[in-house]
Amino acid sequence: MKRTAISLCTLLFLLTLVLSGCPDPESGTTSLSFSLDDVPAFSDTPYVVLNDNQPDFPEEDRTTNSFESYSPLDALGRCGVAYANVGVDLMPTEDRGDIGQVKPTGWHTVKYDIVDGKYLYNRCHLIGYQLTGENANEENLITGTRYMNVDGMLPFENMVADYVQETENHVLYRVTPIFEGDNLVASGVQMEAWSVEDSGEGICFNVYCYNSQPGVTIDYATGESWLTEEGQPETEEADYVLNTSSKKFHLPDCSGVASMSESNRQDYTGSREELIAQGYSPCGICNP
Amino acid sequence: MIAAVCIDDSCGLQFNHRRQSRDRVVTEDLLQSAKGHPLWIAPISQTLFPEERVSVATDFLEQAGEGDWCFVEDQPLLPVLSRLEAVVLYRWNRTYPADFYLDVIPWEAGWRLTSREEFPGHSHKLITKEVYLP
Repeated sequence: MKRTAISLCTLLFLLTLVLSGCPDPESGTTSLSFSLDDVPAFSDTPYVVLNDNQPDFPEEDRTTNSFESYSPLDALGRCGVAYANVGVDLMPTEDRGDIGQVKPTGWHTVKYDIVDGKYLYNRCHLIGYQLTGENANEENLITGTRYMNVDGMLPFENMVADYVQETENHVLYRVTPIFEGDNLVASGVQMEAWSVEDSGEGICFNVYCYNSQPGVTIDYATGESWLTEEGQPETEEADYVLNTSSKKFHLPDCSGVASMSESNRQDYTGSREELIAQGYSPCGICNP
Repeated sequence: MIAAVCIDDSCGLQFNHRRQSRDRVVTEDLLQSAKGHPLWIAPISQTLFPEERVSVATDFLEQAGEGDWCFVEDQPLLPVLSRLEAVVLYRWNRTYPADFYLDVIPWEAGWRLTSREEFPGHSHKLITKEVYLP
């Protein structure tokens, strides 16, 4: 029932990463609260846990006063830390407007068939619109992959937004884009959150979301991109478990396999493309 | 026993030892559904329910008898699979981060969906309630 949050991939970021250089106007911090040497290279998970999920917020910020702040763009035009104490009073009361006029650093309008919605890049809110209602604020928008936006950051935004709506408590929430050197596209973002009134009992996390897109290689210096060469892992043979009744296929360690009826179960070794061609669809839990 | 579970779109229940989400409308629906039967919860669920209307125990899945309801947030169901009379899913229709998942997936286990209803929550636009029988 427990799913590994961090890939076991042994390759590590050995790069020296630096922030965009914009100090956080509220907390005053400019350095990372974690070692990027401990972040595994991107493999198959949209985020990894940092520091055992413990965020690093100053004691003086743990109040029930809502606030939001965004760093001024640096000399290269890049975003810095976005920080808020999210309360219901900051949340939007109307639908989001157009943000197409903002061109974050490294922006390219480029499409790939393998990307959900085709477009590789989204104008990615550091603090999601549903939390603070910031629309076309250039200090809150970076060039982010569809994968990071939807699979990496959005689930955390959803969790915080629904918690605040339900409890009317406050959540300290900080998103730090991580740029390597003078790169125009962030390698990823650090997301931290902590619920104030219940001292983190409701919300408490510290994660790193990869600004990556499976199947696409990105030049983070410029934002240029191309399809990853053939021989990607997803086209290789692998072990799957089929449910011949529901016509779903799973990874062998998926929680959906444990309770599967033996009469419907079939072990299979082959490519996922072959299974899809046979009428099977990937399980929504393990995303094989 | 009847197990009631709240799940997101990936059948997740928790992240970092905390529930993914909560909604007072679900709590009330659960209390109404279990009316007339004991409703068992773990200590971590106490903040959601009025104490006079629930039975609290760390080993509530072992203690619960036939016809009893169990609200499950942090325990696997596989160990009590043979005693499950039904699984009631409250689906948030959202994706949250998850590191703890439902381990008895009714549709994968070949269980029968006997009812489905949708209703708005207090903090969720649409919640789907599904009842599965083995």
